[in-house]
Amino acid sequence: MASDLLSIAASGAKAARLALDVTAQNIANASSEGYVRRSVRLEELASSGGFGRIGDVSLSGVRLDRVMRNADTFRQAEVRRTGADAARGQAEVAGLENVQTAVEQSNVYPSIVKFEASLQQLASDPVDPSLRSAVIEAARTMTRTMNIAATSLDAAGNGLRFEAGDAVSQINGIATELGRVNLRLARASDASSDQTALLDQRDMLLERMSEYADVSATINADHTVEVRLGGSAGAQIVTGGTTASLAMTTAPNGTLSFAVGATPVTLSGGSLAGKAQALIKLADVRTKLDTIATGVIATVNTAQAAGVALDGSAGQPLLAGTDAASIALALEDGRKIATAPAGAGANSRDAAGLTAMRTALGISDPAGAMDALIFDISGTVAGRTVTRDALDTIAGNARIALSAQAGVNLDQEATNLIRYQQAFQASSKAIQIASNLFDTLLALR
Amino acid sequence: MTISTTSTSAFYERATMDLSALRKQAESLQGQLSSGARLARSSDNPVAASRLRTLARGSEMANVDLANANRATADLKLTDTALSTFADYVTRARELTIQAANGTLTTSQRASIGGELQQIHGSLFALANSRDSTGHALFGGQTAGNAYTLDGAGNAVYAGTATSEDLPLGDGQSVKRGLTGPEFLNFSVNGNPTDLMAVIKTLGDALLGAAADPAQAARDALAPLSDALDTVTNGQTQIGARLAWIELTNDRRTTLSELHAGEEADLGSTDMAATIAELQQVMLVLEASQASFVKLASLNLFELIQ
Repeated sequence: MASDLLSIAASGAKAARLALDVTAQNIANASSEGYVRRSVRLEELASSGGFGRIGDVSLSGVRLDRVMRNADTFRQAEVRRTGADAARGQAEVAGLENVQTAVEQSNVYPSIVKFEASLQQLASDPVDPSLRSAVIEAARTMTRTMNIAATSLDAAGNGLRFEAGDAVSQINGIATELGRVNLRLARASDASSDQTALLDQRDMLLERMSEYADVSATINADHTVEVRLGGSAGAQIVTGGTTASLAMTTAPNGTLSFAVGATPVTLSGGSLAGKAQALIKLADVRTKLDTIATGVIATVNTAQAAGVALDGSAGQPLLAGTDAASIALALEDGRKIATAPAGAGANSRDAAGLTAMRTALGISDPAGAMDALIFDISGTVAGRTVTRDALDTIAGNARIALSAQAGVNLDQEATNLIRYQQAFQASSKAIQIASNLFDTLLALR
Repeated sequence: MTISTTSTSAFYERATMDLSALRKQAESLQGQLSSGARLARSSDNPVAASRLRTLARGSEMANVDLANANRATADLKLTDTALSTFADYVTRARELTIQAANGTLTTSQRASIGGELQQIHGSLFALANSRDSTGHALFGGQTAGNAYTLDGAGNAVYAGTATSEDLPLGDGQSVKRGLTGPEFLNFSVNGNPTDLMAVIKTLGDALLGAAADPAQAARDALAPLSDALDTVTNGQTQIGARLAWIELTNDRRTTLSELHAGEEADLGSTDMAATIAELQQVMLVLEASQASFVKLASLNLFELIQ
C-alpha cells in the first residue's frame, strides 16, 4: 500500500484543527463550573506491511485517538468529602449564631438583674408606691424580654427547618438528575464528547449534592455512579437510573430526622447535617430558657403567696404563664406586691415578705442560670467557629488541588494554540508541496 | 508538559480566599476600634463575656446599694439632729429642776417652772413623733402611724414596733436605719423602768401641786434626769457609729467599683495602641497582596502573543 503525501498532510491539518478546537473549548470554559480540562491524544496512522511486502512504506498520517478528560477521581472525592464537612460547619455555626443572638440580644440577662435590683431598692422603703411601681415595670420588662427570646428562638428554628426542607428537595432533585445522567452515560459511546460532557455533569452533580449531605459515590465500569447518603454504609439513593427519595421528619421539639425510602439515615456532613445539629442545640437552649422562666415564676409566686400586700390582703401571684413564651405579668398594681410577712396588717412597713422573696431569688439565682446559658451557647459557637474555619481551609485547599489538576491554565492553552497553529501551518505546507510535486509531474514534457 | 501546575481558576480562587481573609481581619479590627469594645458577641470570648456580665450585674446592684446607703445616711443624720434637740431639752429640764429644788422658791414660782416643764413635755412628744426622709415615723421602728400617742391622762405611750428595720448595704452587709423611741428614751430608776417623758410629766405635775413636797419631788427627779441625758447621749453615740459604718461600706464599694471598672476595661475595651498597630500591619499586608495580585494577573501569555 502506497503512501499518499496529500492525504497524510490533510490528516495532519485535520488533527491540528481538532486540537485547536479543543484548546479553544478549554479557553472558553476556563471559568465554567465543573469543567474539566480536555486534551487531545493523537495517534500515528500507519499499516505494517503484509506478506511479501516487508519494507514497504505505508504511512497514512495521524488520527485523533481520543479527547482526554483530565479528572482525578481521588481529588474529586476529597473535594466532596471536605466540602461536605465545611458545609456542615458553616450551616451549624450560622444556626448557632442565630440561637446566640436570640438569647443574648433579647437582653433577658440585664432585665433579670434589673428586676432583682428593683426588689433591693424596694427594701429601702417597702410602702413607697413609686418603688413598688418600679418593681412592677421591671417585672414587665423581664417577662417581655423572655417572650422576645422565646419568639426569636422559634423564628431561628423555623428558619433552619425551612432551609433544611429546601436542602432535602435539592438533594432529591439532584438525585433524579443523576439517575438521568446515569441512563445516558450507559448509552454514550466511549470517549465521545457527549460522554465527557456527561461525566462533567455527573461530577458536578455529585459535588453539589455533597454540599447538602455526606455522599458516598461508587463509580462503575460504565461510568455510571451509585450514590449513598450518610457515608459508605448509608442508604442508597441513586442506583443506575432508579432513585430513592430522601424524607425529613420534624420531632415535636423541632429536631430533624431523615430517611431514604424507609431506611433511616444519619447524616454527618453537608449543610443538612449542620442544620440538624444546630436544631438539637436550639431545642436544648429552649428547654433551659423555659426552666429559667418557670423557676422565676415559681419563686416569685411562692414568695407572694406567703406574704401580705400593702392593703392587708393575702399575696396573689405576680407572674402568670408556664414557660418563657407564655410568662406574663399577672398584677398591674404595685400595691399588690406582698412585702409584708403573713399576719401583718395593712400598710405594714415590715419587709420580711420582701426579704424572703429576695432570699429565694438569691438561692434559685435566675440571673446566674441565664449567664450560664449564654456562656453555654457562646462557648459552643466559639468552639464550632474554630472547627468551621479549619474545615473551610481544608476544603479550600482540596478544591484548589483539584482545580490545579483539572482546571484550565490559560498560559498552557496559549502555548497549545501556538503549537497547533504551527502544526496546522506545517501540514498546509506539506499539502502545498504535494501539489507542487504533482504540478512538477504534470509539467514533464 | 505543563508550564505550571496551577490552573487559572485555582490562581484566582486562592487570591480571592487570601484577600478576603485579610479584608475580614482588617474589618474586625476596625470594628473594635470604632465601637471601643473588644467583644461584639459573647462567642468572641465566652469567658470574658460571662465575667463582664457578672461585673455589670455587680455595678447594677452597687448602684441600688449606694441609693440605700444614702437614704440610711439621711435618716441617721435626721435622728442625730433630733437627739441633739432631745439632749438640749433634758439639759434645760435639769436647770429648771435644780431651780425648783431650791427650798426658798415660792409655790407660785414652782408652779410656773412646772408649767414650763409641761411645755417641754409637749415639745418632747412632738419631737418623738418626727418624720424621716420618706415621711414615716423617725422613732417608730416599722410602724405605719405615729411613734407615740397620748393616753387619756396625757401620758405619752409608745405605739411603734420593737425594732427599726435593717437596710441592706450590699455584699450581705446591712445597717439599722434609725432608733426606736424606747431605745434612747427608756431607762430605769432603782430597777423601775420609766422614760424621759414620764419623768418630766410627773415632775411638772408635782410642781403644779400634785405633790405634797414639790421641792423634794424636784430633788428626787435630778438623778433620773441625769440618767435620761446619759441614755440620749448613748443613743447619739450609736448613731455616730452607724454613720461611720455606712461611710466604711461606701469607701469599700468605691474601691471595689474602681477595681471592677479596671477589670471591665481590661476584658472588654479595645487596646487602642495595639489594635491600631495590628490594623496597620494587616493593611500593609493587604495592600502588598493586592499589588502583587494585579501584577501576577497581568502576567499572561496572551498579552505577549501578537
